[in-house]
Amino acid sequence: MATIESLKQSHDIRGLIRLLDHGSPEIQWRAADTLGTLGEPACDPLISIIDFPKVHVRIGAIEALGDLRNPRSVNHLVRKLKTDPDNEVRWVAALALGQIGDPGAVPALQLALKDNDRYVRYGAVKALETLGWTPATDIEMACALIALQDWQGVRKLGPGAVGPLIDIMKDPNPVTRTKIVGLLGGIGSSAAKKTCEAALLDRDPEVRWTAVLACKRCGTDTHRIPLIMSERQKTGPSAIGAAILNLFFFGLGYQYIGKWWGFLVFMSYMTIMVFVQLYGNLVFPFIYIYPFTAVSAVQTYYAVKRMPDM
Amino acid sequence: MVHQKDINGLIRLLRSRDIDIQVQAAQALGSLGTEATDRLISALSTKNKTVKLGIIGALAGIKSSRSIQPLIAALGDENSEVRWQAAIALGDIGDSATTGSLCSALKDPDKYVRYGAAVSLTTIGWKPQDAAERAYYFAGLQEWGAVREIGKPAVPALTGLLRDRDSTVRIKAVELLGIIGDTDATPALIQSLGDENREVRWNSVLASPKCGISLKYLPRGLSRRPQNVKNPLIAGVLNFLLPGLGYGYLGKWWGTMIFQIDVMATVWLFKMEGDENSFSLLFPIYLVLGIHAWYITTKMPKDPP
Repeated sequence: MATIESLKQSHDIRGLIRLLDHGSPEIQWRAADTLGTLGEPACDPLISIIDFPKVHVRIGAIEALGDLRNPRSVNHLVRKLKTDPDNEVRWVAALALGQIGDPGAVPALQLALKDNDRYVRYGAVKALETLGWTPATDIEMACALIALQDWQGVRKLGPGAVGPLIDIMKDPNPVTRTKIVGLLGGIGSSAAKKTCEAALLDRDPEVRWTAVLACKRCGTDTHRIPLIMSERQKTGPSAIGAAILNLFFFGLGYQYIGKWWGFLVFMSYMTIMVFVQLYGNLVFPFIYIYPFTAVSAVQTYYAVKRMPDM
Repeated sequence: MVHQKDINGLIRLLRSRDIDIQVQAAQALGSLGTEATDRLISALSTKNKTVKLGIIGALAGIKSSRSIQPLIAALGDENSEVRWQAAIALGDIGDSATTGSLCSALKDPDKYVRYGAAVSLTTIGWKPQDAAERAYYFAGLQEWGAVREIGKPAVPALTGLLRDRDSTVRIKAVELLGIIGDTDATPALIQSLGDENREVRWNSVLASPKCGISLKYLPRGLSRRPQNVKNPLIAGVLNFLLPGLGYGYLGKWWGTMIFQIDVMATVWLFKMEGDENSFSLLFPIYLVLGIHAWYITTKMPKDPP
């Protein structure tokens, strides 16, 4: 802490920026806070590192830029909000734009209400609140309520919320997708029905189950639901993969499907093969063993096929 | 065995795989009265968890004051079920001298132990002396409405719950900290932003501003969460040195298959072409495989936060 204070006294911006990459999160934090107090001279050096490869450095720089409230950083922060691959960086960029208070950031923040990450959406709506923005249409209202995860408010909006809800279905978080599908099932428009049917193919079992209930409420023919769901991508082990492994590398197929003894079988098999090669005068003993491993491959294939994957 | 007062035989039965036999043996030991107490206390030093649970159950049945100290010691056992059983047993014995130890057990990181301690304190007729004790007591009983009403004095009890392994308890604690909205919760909430559970993290984000934590600090807190990401360098080096195993490290089912094919192909190549030709042929292939594994790892999607 003494170092940070002395760097602050000497206005050593570069030294403080180096501390953003310090091993201690506490020091990173304090360095960012201190940089945010150094005014105009710190702005350009901080802007120059907002594309730094390490996430915590980018976060620290953006935190400091938010504290500096220099309008020159707005365009850079908007770019970060739109394009940074890390959700924490987009989130902190949204909050920094709210702190700076430039109304020019409103369109970018409105766009961020449709970000596929709930933290970024939450940051954007909080920043918009700070900027004094109020939703002008039902769609904007829906976007804001979704960002705040005010699901009761979204439900009250009814069909007006369907579009924004569908936009957020790309959220990688299954909890959010489950919530959205449940709400769409309650609203039940034709667009909602289509999205609920698509959700039957979701990778997450909870989303799929919610979609089953939602589809029923949206009026999807009950017989159609299992048919759609059967088209989903399987999330368990590949049946073909397990069979091929057991055919050519007997035992590895079992290991692949989660049997602890699979590798043991494989090593025993390989040891026997080596001995047969050495002492049995067989150039390629595997050819003789394939009929047996083929039986195991077929058995493994059907065993995987029978594994529950709902 | 009960008629013969075969205490050792009954203790041996506590090791049975049949739960009914274990329960009957514990009940039988409990029915033997105080003369079994000393033997049971000395057998409590066993490492066997099932036997410990049976002995504690038997001591609870005997209700001898001599077993209080060993049972209090069992509240510090490394196994949570043993601690839970000890808390219940102390309640059954009903000695008011144990309330101090049971109050300490209200701070246990395991919800079952806390619950057992709270129920036993109720049985003994203990009453919390102040708001903080009341908070620990109701948190032990998981009576969240009562904890909420206590307000600020409940903050230490709630921050203690953030050590619980059960994420639903941690979520509830974070929610309540947000409702109470006291700044004393700040360090615990910042810590919870990096929790291993996604919903604990999200609820910490919602609770933090209510406790006076500036929103700008939250992204940094979240970035400290444990991330299940594969190291591109490990994947690359593995694939370069042991072609295929880098893919296996990334969870590709065919990784081990490539490794085995490579082993066989390499042996044949060395036999047919000799060392020098084989190395010059294999090295560039291994290099490409290493770079490929490194590249696909860098492009792998992160877990949603």
